[in-house]
Amino acid sequence: MIGTGNGSHPPAKGKSRAASRNESSAVVAQAQELRRHTHQLSLRDQIERNHFLLKRLNAASVRLIQALEDGDVYPAIGEIIANLVGSEEVAIFHYDTSDQSFSLAWSWGIDEETLQQFATGAGLIGRAARQGATQFRDRVTDIPLRHHEQNLTACVVLKSSGEVVGVIPILGLLPQKNGLEWADFELLKFLETYGAVAVQFQRLRDNPVAQ
Amino acid sequence: MASKKILLVDDSCTARLVNRMIFSQKSNYVLLSASDGKEAVDTARREKPDLILMDIVMPRMTGLEACRVLKKDSETSRIPVILLTTRGEEQYVQEGYASGCSDYLTKPVNDTELLDLLQAYLGE
Repeated sequence: MIGTGNGSHPPAKGKSRAASRNESSAVVAQAQELRRHTHQLSLRDQIERNHFLLKRLNAASVRLIQALEDGDVYPAIGEIIANLVGSEEVAIFHYDTSDQSFSLAWSWGIDEETLQQFATGAGLIGRAARQGATQFRDRVTDIPLRHHEQNLTACVVLKSSGEVVGVIPILGLLPQKNGLEWADFELLKFLETYGAVAVQFQRLRDNPVAQ
Repeated sequence: MASKKILLVDDSCTARLVNRMIFSQKSNYVLLSASDGKEAVDTARREKPDLILMDIVMPRMTGLEACRVLKKDSETSRIPVILLTTRGEEQYVQEGYASGCSDYLTKPVNDTELLDLLQAYLGE
């Protein structure tokens, strides 16, 4: 068939404008749908990140409660750091505010000489105790790191009722970890408070008369 | 769909706890646990889990030894074993696969990676 004018020829100009209006509307609708979907993903991501963190905090909290029962608070803190943060080089020092001294309570994967250096209170461990604030090696720019701190990741302060009761130096991270991540900082904050309470509990258990 | 049985093996109570919490997102898993390789072998022979998620460094019997024992036993040789460990160095990964494991993951565990791997093995 020739020249019937019902669709086999190029569209007239008016029809073309209508078609492009339709096309524009479709593009706008697609863009809106994309924005809606992106927003949904972002909301989902917030919930999932929170869930990710809560699972870890819950595991850490349950482990600390078990440790109070079993009397193994120090290894429990080490286990939490190894499994949830990712370091097998950890020490726990008690801190005595009266003479600003440190005494080793427990360690894992750190050599004797390094432990002795930390026990002197020199460097970031001393600063953490004096300032009552966790020190992260990456954030320290104003003082040079000492020899025993070359592999240090953080000195986590243990604070109970506003008083510093100890410090946890965390040295090297596992090879598969590129650095501390957002959930690690939250876990370390949890240990600052609840690790401190558990450590105090353990000290009372180990040495009731002296306390 | 019948529930799948997963055996979690780790001497670290924290690791078992966090893995339980990750799997609790999926309601169709029945979780069993063991705290060393010897207990894992005994539990696997008795319970015939659909999958074993096992640490390497453990007292009494390591994850590598347990994996070798399980793979030699016709009753348990078909059970996929995923090793989950802090040891991410190449040498350990190679030793892991040499023991007969199906897969190898490093700690700290990535939830999505772990759940995806489980789904792949459990055919969901």
